[in-house]
Amino acid sequence: MNQIPLFNIFFNDGSNYQGGTLEQPKWLDIPDKPIRSIFYSLPLGDFLTLIGYEKYYHFVEVCKDLNGDRSGQVQLEFAYLIGKKGNDYRIYKISLRTGQIQIIDTDKDNEMIKQLNPIGWKKGI
Amino acid sequence: MATAMTFLINYVNANVAYVTTPADYILLDDLTNDYLIWSATLADLLTHEPTTDELNENATIISDSAATTIAKCLLMDYSHYGGYYTRLVKGMGENKQYVFAFRFNGITATEPKLEAWDTSAHTTYLKHVLGAGTPASSMLQAKCTTTSLPGTGDWTSIAGLSNYIRLNDGTDLDPHPLSGAKDLYCNLKIKIPVAYATPAAETFVLTVRYTYL
Repeated sequence: MNQIPLFNIFFNDGSNYQGGTLEQPKWLDIPDKPIRSIFYSLPLGDFLTLIGYEKYYHFVEVCKDLNGDRSGQVQLEFAYLIGKKGNDYRIYKISLRTGQIQIIDTDKDNEMIKQLNPIGWKKGI
Repeated sequence: MATAMTFLINYVNANVAYVTTPADYILLDDLTNDYLIWSATLADLLTHEPTTDELNENATIISDSAATTIAKCLLMDYSHYGGYYTRLVKGMGENKQYVFAFRFNGITATEPKLEAWDTSAHTTYLKHVLGAGTPASSMLQAKCTTTSLPGTGDWTSIAGLSNYIRLNDGTDLDPHPLSGAKDLYCNLKIKIPVAYATPAAETFVLTVRYTYL
């Protein structure tokens, strides 16, 4: 059975790119050209669509315990999908334990936005 | 490939980094069965897994006149490399830089953090060693040593989501996500307050929270 890609990206030039999995998202492999829209696969089977942003960012947060009953396992905690428009940012914080989604509307002074490695931003339209 | 992390301890000379002297480090490649023991007098290089009686006999005594830093941290090495089950972690709690090592093999979106919790659920920090619900009172102190010595004073008390250390010497205003493969370091100690009223044998979970793209 084919696995549904984590995300499917459609570019302005009509081409598209399929992401990997939560374990191997392949976000950094996205071609460097303007993104028109992102269709993102959510943990409980639904899809999220982002369209019309100037920039996009995605990353996965994990924990690795050094001891205890889950030691050594990479535990998926959250996925973050972010869109930037002007000074405004919308963050979709997706719990990979429960599937719950928190939507955070914020600006460039947000603590998490300021922490991000700039290499992960992908240009939109 | 998503970025991955491995954990090592220095068991020879805490003045040398992994990249220059990898033989001084043991990789905790069996995290399910290996664990850290914090003890006053448990012997290095035991040829058997320490029993509960041995752990109790070598426990730290709470002082009624001064705070007590637990003297030793030992790796219980289930695979007993070289025939030994216990390996003293060199430099633990001292002004030493290369003690606990975290090897990352790639880029991260944010700076990796070290946290401490009651259990692998990562939801509570109620154990005495973690401050019994007050993170600032956690006896477990940590200091990032990736670029410098930790110093001799009190370090950061870690417990829960609010009290952690960054592992790449960043700050809130100047975060340091990883731009490629890198070895990060920290030092740890457990400092029991003077005349602490509740003796206990407790376990806690150390976890590294990191991100990848």
